Amino acid sequence: MKIRPYLFSLLALGLALILSLAIGSVFLSPAQLWDTLIGHGTQVSNAILWDIRLPRTILVALTGMALGGSGAAYQGLFRNPLADPFLIGVASGAGLGAVVAMSIQWPYSFWGLMAIPMAAFVAGLFTIFIVYALARVGKTIPTTNLILAGVAFSAFATSLTSFLMLRSTNDVRRALGWLLGGATQSGWTAILAIVPYLIIGLGILTFSGHALNLLQFGDEQAQQLGLNVTRSKTILLIAASLATAAAVAFSGIIGFIGLIVPHVMRLWFGADYRRLILLSIIGGAAALIVSDVVARVVIAPQEIPVGIVTALVGAPFFLWVLRRAKNQGYW
Amino acid sequence: MYRKILALTLLTVLLFGCAPINKSTSAATVVTVDDGLGRTVKLSGPAQRIVSMAPSNTEILFAIGAGSQVVGRDEFSDYPLQVKPLPSVGGSMGNYSNEQIVALKPDLVLAAQINTPEQVKSLEALGLTVYYLNNPTTLEEMYKNLEIVAQLTGHESDAEKLITSLKARVAAVDAKLAHVTNKPIVFYEVDATDPTKPYTYGPGTFGDALITEAGGVNFSDAAGITDQYPQVSLEQIVKTNPQIIILGDSAYGATADAVKARPGWGTIDAVKNGMIFPFDDNLVSRPGPRLVDGLEQLAKLLHPELFQ
Repeated sequence: MKIRPYLFSLLALGLALILSLAIGSVFLSPAQLWDTLIGHGTQVSNAILWDIRLPRTILVALTGMALGGSGAAYQGLFRNPLADPFLIGVASGAGLGAVVAMSIQWPYSFWGLMAIPMAAFVAGLFTIFIVYALARVGKTIPTTNLILAGVAFSAFATSLTSFLMLRSTNDVRRALGWLLGGATQSGWTAILAIVPYLIIGLGILTFSGHALNLLQFGDEQAQQLGLNVTRSKTILLIAASLATAAAVAFSGIIGFIGLIVPHVMRLWFGADYRRLILLSIIGGAAALIVSDVVARVVIAPQEIPVGIVTALVGAPFFLWVLRRAKNQGYW
Repeated sequence: MYRKILALTLLTVLLFGCAPINKSTSAATVVTVDDGLGRTVKLSGPAQRIVSMAPSNTEILFAIGAGSQVVGRDEFSDYPLQVKPLPSVGGSMGNYSNEQIVALKPDLVLAAQINTPEQVKSLEALGLTVYYLNNPTTLEEMYKNLEIVAQLTGHESDAEKLITSLKARVAAVDAKLAHVTNKPIVFYEVDATDPTKPYTYGPGTFGDALITEAGGVNFSDAAGITDQYPQVSLEQIVKTNPQIIILGDSAYGATADAVKARPGWGTIDAVKNGMIFPFDDNLVSRPGPRLVDGLEQLAKLLHPELFQ
């Protein structure tokens, strides 16, 4: 096993974590940061570091892991370089669920506050089940069917979401913020709520590298090579969607990370899915943390939704990587 | 199998949702007020370091004489002028900087209905005291809000004086308009980025209520529209034929000349007679004491003959 790609990406993640704890809309000097780290902080610096920056950084890291890992899995599963974690409807389903939940006046209580992320999570997964059922032909699930059913259902859910937002003018800001990926409800509750799904989902994906490698030969070839294609596809689909839906429920919809991180990792470290999934998980976390830092400081003390940053910074970076690699036929 | 997975998933959602939430605060309490989210907010005395999360809240605080107790404001607070130098805690696209709020060490964060319950929760989780002020829907409710904020900040008698003078000004307008019979149809333009489908105020907004109180008929009422912020077709405006157009979007560049130049608007009475007026939308959109300024200015625009 080659160790260097892992060292490199973990180093990047470590740097991103330090950056994210050190930089925010309130300036803390290195000395203040150090004092706070070793337990000699003031009341304010303690609150900022431990109660605001740390939980937010962890939530962002977990979201990035889910998007990077499931993005890589989706690209392999669909054998399509344009696939991302939202391709077949997790995002649009979750968005619809969230906006429907926002149109109801929930009581100000723990469960009232959980209603929106729960609605988003359940609706996101429900969408996948509908798309899966629509795409299935007998005992097989042709990839083209999945993509077409997913894209059509996504379009339907997205337009319903837009319609609801136009009708309920009061909640537009809230809904828009959510749809652009604002970590609205940070804090430890969100982290505790999504960790189990990420462990299950990303754990399964990490060990599905071999199956994904075989799937690259096409369904029939993979079957002849001894892979139970339908079962593998189903498991991959569920695992990736579970992780994505959990992350989306609390972080909103964040585009681009799930698309470009796997590509960058593939360009740098090769297309072997046994490595690619784990590297995309680590890379996704690092990339989203850095984006979140940018979102926090670019017009501080205002913040911009991180979804804007991921596309604004991510697209040029990706083009640069792609340009450098143009001579290696890679996909 | 899938049904099992779904059931299992739902079950885990339910289980992992159960984390403890509330930290209760101690200390002897002097001020106790229920807020718009049904929470009971306790202060150990009038708040001395206040962060305002909305322009209307900032205006209320300064109007009742609590301006010197304000230590931070949202990005859009711009009135009165003294608020400009105060540190901003954000607010564009609904994003506030909790770091900045914590760093200001407020003993009260005054939130409004534009803030989400999630934001209130996240501030509460940081150990801050948050009061969520509901939007009023009538002038009476607005006075009530002034009293609430006065109670939180220790300015009860200032607020009573303010309310008395506001009520007197409203009564003066009402008296002048008591015998008005010609009530013009008024189209209040909120946004006409697409001049074939502008937005206006409907029932349940102060835009609608103040036009009615100022002796006019709001376009939405004349046209039988029930949405709060309807986007209406130019055809509907031409058919309802308002006698007065008020440009609430003048701050964003709308002018009477621009309206006259819009294709299809020329047949409307207000355009033919040049009855198009720029207006400061903050006077009807921010639910604070300046609503009364809004009422007075609207009454003068609608019935100039009574205010010579």
